[in-house]
Amino acid sequence: MFDTSDGALPTSAAGVPGGLRGGWYPFWSAAVVALAGTVVAVRTLRSSDMGPGPFKDRGAVGDVAKFILPMAITTYLMSDKLLGFYVASGGYIAYYAGAVARYRWYLAILAGVVIPVIVYAVFELGFKTLFPKSVLYPAVPF
Amino acid sequence: MDVIGALIGGFGTALQANNVIFLVVGCLLGLIIGVLPGLGGTSGVAILLPISVYIAQANTPTTAIIFLAGIYWGALFGGVVTSILFNIPGEPWAVALLFDGYPLAKRKGKPGVALASSFLASWVGALFATILLTFLAKELADVALRFGPAELFAVFIISFATLIGLGAESPMKAVMMVAFGLLLAAVGFDTISGEQRLTFGNLTLISGIGFVPVTIGLFGIGEIIASADEAGIGYVEKIAARVGLKDVLETMSALRKRIWLVIANGVIGFFFGSLPGHGATAGSFLGYGLARQWSRNKQDFGKGEISGIMAPQAAADASAVGSLVPMLSLGVPGSPTSAVMMAGLFIWGLQPGPLLFVDHPDFVWGLIASIYLGHFLTFLICLLAVPLLALIMRAPHGILTPFIVIISVIGAYSLNNDMKDVAITIVFGVIGYWLRKMKYPLAPLVVALVLGDSTEREMRKALIGSQGDPTVFVASPISAVMLALSVLLLAWPFIGRLLRRTSAAGTAH
Repeated sequence: MFDTSDGALPTSAAGVPGGLRGGWYPFWSAAVVALAGTVVAVRTLRSSDMGPGPFKDRGAVGDVAKFILPMAITTYLMSDKLLGFYVASGGYIAYYAGAVARYRWYLAILAGVVIPVIVYAVFELGFKTLFPKSVLYPAVPF
Repeated sequence: MDVIGALIGGFGTALQANNVIFLVVGCLLGLIIGVLPGLGGTSGVAILLPISVYIAQANTPTTAIIFLAGIYWGALFGGVVTSILFNIPGEPWAVALLFDGYPLAKRKGKPGVALASSFLASWVGALFATILLTFLAKELADVALRFGPAELFAVFIISFATLIGLGAESPMKAVMMVAFGLLLAAVGFDTISGEQRLTFGNLTLISGIGFVPVTIGLFGIGEIIASADEAGIGYVEKIAARVGLKDVLETMSALRKRIWLVIANGVIGFFFGSLPGHGATAGSFLGYGLARQWSRNKQDFGKGEISGIMAPQAAADASAVGSLVPMLSLGVPGSPTSAVMMAGLFIWGLQPGPLLFVDHPDFVWGLIASIYLGHFLTFLICLLAVPLLALIMRAPHGILTPFIVIISVIGAYSLNNDMKDVAITIVFGVIGYWLRKMKYPLAPLVVALVLGDSTEREMRKALIGSQGDPTVFVASPISAVMLALSVLLLAWPFIGRLLRRTSAAGTAH
């Protein structure tokens, strides 16, 4: 396993061993992860002070879940032929501003419309960077 | 004296009204492109390359290259903004800015100082690099050509070694993160043999795991999840983002104390940039690592230390200038952006290489003079824009938080127009949040992911060249010295810990 010429790539010129195969590098990277992880785990288990749990209370778990879930759902809905990037991102901004930050509903909707329109103008029209479109495309431009 | 005379002639060319106008327009466009997530110097120069053809026809190729170079410098300055204000890097070299730029802007409430530090270091680093370019371009290009795979491998290893100590709390956790980053970098096609690795039959993983979506996830998304955890989802961001002359003066004073650090990083970055194909990224990481190693305040790194902003930024900007060395002297691009610029040279009917200095001195020296002017102009524009840029941090959290999520998605998607990258960003956002919570350092992971592919490629190329003989890595004095230094740097946290334990045991007895 340490021998850098064993099982090496053949070279076209002289047919002699020429280097490492593709698996050598990931194998040793994984081995170091496993070794270092074992050392960290053993040290942690042997430590007398285990410290508090990862979350300060159940509310923190809820806050994290309330943040991650809508974000993950939004990015799924951004895909082509679903809601598309612009509708999904507008909906997410409006949801966050209205339901989480407790803005007035019309301000939340305004933010949800204005930001995607600016992004559309800059990226789609200006720099020709195309984002996934909704199922209604090409009937609507987004 | 020849060089001085040629440079004066170059200033005469660069200061012509049309050249100055195109330089300013280029710098402004580059600045805007750099600030936008997912777009950087390379894409900016590539997008505007067709326009440069018209500019070259209406004026001269010198005006066109000055315009493209202006975009490059503007994008370099603009690229730091999202790193410092949103924890989202647009370019690989801007990753090192996340470590201290964002903490200084957010946790210490000094976005103006963070931005001004980066702009000032960019300018000073680039200034010294341009002086080196003026006087040593040809000589350095020759030295750079002597860097073969073994030497380049040693350069990457020393970049890792200087950063291992970042996990001050647990060097073993840092080692684990480096190895994890190298493992992630190995996913996809093996660039030497062409075989698939770690894809588990999944076709979407054949192209590998890009460092940009991972970094955006780890730092950008991971940070806002951590904020939701630490301060509650309804947390309202309150950052004192008032910026005035005081901030600029504070930054100038900070620079005075760190001038040698910035100059040294400018020189290191310039040399790294002049190595064909390996530019700003390794230079900026090495600059950050060296700044930390040299600093008396190691414990402040990662918490908003100004040296942690100035060092990588000076190295990165100097690398960009250095990347022009192989382009002008050898006809070999030093970075992706200079490769696009070189395409422009061919389109305008010029042949990059040693004869360019002889056949088209107006072009070469006009470009070199415009680098001095372009960096100074961009620096002034950026400094004036700092108060406006810093005001972004005062945006209400109800808008800013989803906006950061959206620009993270834009940054990840626009790389390859692939929703897979967006999924990677979200997954690594959660992983980054959890690693942060478990006190694993993120910087070594990102550095290994960014440089992992190049490190493996150079190592295997060196072994192929030596027919599998590993002594190739110590055969050249350059790589032998760098590898010996790397071993010393890697061992240092462990030796230090052992010494402290021995000393504590001695005191107890």
